[in-house]
Amino acid sequence: MGCPLRMSVVTAQLLLVLSLACYLSPLTSYFSPLAAQSAPPAKVAKSVERIFGTGIQVDTLTVDTVSVLRVSKGGTLLGFARVRNVKGKDQPITYLVAIDPQDTLKDVDVLVYREPYGGEVAYEPWRKQFRGRTTTAPLVVGKDIRNISGATISSHSVTLGVRRTLAELTAWHAAGKIR
Amino acid sequence: MRPAPCAALLTGLAIPLVLNPLNAQDSETTSVGGYGEVHYTNATGANTPGMVNVRRFVLYLAHTFSEKLAVRSELELEDAKIEGGKAGGEVALEQLYLDYLISPAFTMRAGLVLPPVGIVNEIHEPPTFNGVARPAFDRDVIPTTWREIGVGALGAIPGSSGLSYRVYLVNGLKADGFSAASGIREGRQEGREASFANPSITGRLEWVRPGLRLGGSFWYGGSANQDSLLGTGTFDNAVALVSADARYDVGPIMFRGILANISVAGADAINAVYGTQAGSRIAGGYIEAAYNVLSALAPASAQRLNAFLRYEHFNTQADVPAGVVKDEALARRITTFGLSYKPIYSVVFKGDYQLQRNKAGIGEGELLSLGVGYQF
Repeated sequence: MGCPLRMSVVTAQLLLVLSLACYLSPLTSYFSPLAAQSAPPAKVAKSVERIFGTGIQVDTLTVDTVSVLRVSKGGTLLGFARVRNVKGKDQPITYLVAIDPQDTLKDVDVLVYREPYGGEVAYEPWRKQFRGRTTTAPLVVGKDIRNISGATISSHSVTLGVRRTLAELTAWHAAGKIR
Repeated sequence: MRPAPCAALLTGLAIPLVLNPLNAQDSETTSVGGYGEVHYTNATGANTPGMVNVRRFVLYLAHTFSEKLAVRSELELEDAKIEGGKAGGEVALEQLYLDYLISPAFTMRAGLVLPPVGIVNEIHEPPTFNGVARPAFDRDVIPTTWREIGVGALGAIPGSSGLSYRVYLVNGLKADGFSAASGIREGRQEGREASFANPSITGRLEWVRPGLRLGGSFWYGGSANQDSLLGTGTFDNAVALVSADARYDVGPIMFRGILANISVAGADAINAVYGTQAGSRIAGGYIEAAYNVLSALAPASAQRLNAFLRYEHFNTQADVPAGVVKDEALARRITTFGLSYKPIYSVVFKGDYQLQRNKAGIGEGELLSLGVGYQF
């Protein structure tokens, strides 16, 4: 019966290492209570700055109760951005879509991914497929957007979300609801 | 577990929770999902009437207590019905675990988990694979759906682009279930009053690019279950599994393939004690290519009609211990070809034809299968 004792020590040590890792990971950013299904404002600001550059001015416009970010620099319009959610397997995926004044998609960011699988949609090699697209593009997984095998639900969800958001922003821009 | 380390562990886990109270009510949600498949099969040969079966009906239930804490589960009913005294039918928990998302690089997981081995064990919903039944390799070599109880961690490797890992400490296999034809399959304990005599480590490393996913998996752990005739050591009669797999989609063409090798230490003793003819090494793999026919026939369509061909080659007695005569009928070669029609990515209508061959040429047959499947 030496074995259970020996193993219990190994097990306990492993679990202790796991729990120690809790301390070592950046607690402050990950444990701050988030409002349901939204991205922290700092994360949104960082994303917009990454896409449009520094020294920008970001104003919030309201279209039919929906918030759209208007990005400008020195009085010149650089584009618009919107933060939305789309359902993954069991959790919302929070993403941002940014367009330029010609309604061309500048970039997509996955701001918060909450599920244990499929997080690869946040990786740049996949996201960059959306750059330069307009509403004339199909934006369909397996056609002009490559699938991530093993992350099919997330790939389809984010692609659908981007397609809808791009269409919405483009339509609002054309109708003068955002300018 | 001894009281002292146990207490230390609980304290260790509790401190971050206490220091940073989670706002449970902020984002509590419950979601229901599931998958299912109904099959028609007709084998060649005498006395093999066609059969229809509700192969699987699985309910997925997840609850998120906060953005960081979630419980996820899958409850499965096989063959539509269970009745006393009749063969077939099974109700089983396929998964039941708590996830504690500490950071994107580190989610802690505890409960009944799927060893992250190969392609199909973790992702086994019918629309995700070609062919009505799962590949035979994913039954006889990697014992899908393989689930055991344990704790572990998973996440993206920080600073990398596309690398992720999963690693678990789980209960071990039991050698008394090993067999010549099904390898380690019946050695699984599946979360039912499982023995923790042989804690085992299993894990996986994955690398992802658009269209590409490469993975390597392992399992290592004893299987003696403190049977005094085998061994009382933690790693006695160790089962060592390694596998490598790839999935690659390029335009309308899809490839996937896997190779695995499982060695069982002291297979001679296992066979002597339990009177089985289990192999000391189980090995094989498969390769599959598929082509979306609709990309040529109806380029505007977002639907898919995948024509596929898969070749499986595996042997559950790749090596045998002294005293065991190899059964050449276990050196299997299975060719499957057919169609998968997917009006949307989460629904599939399937049909395939399978040529079952083996080195001995005994008990060979052919099988026609039709099926429908879904996931949501």
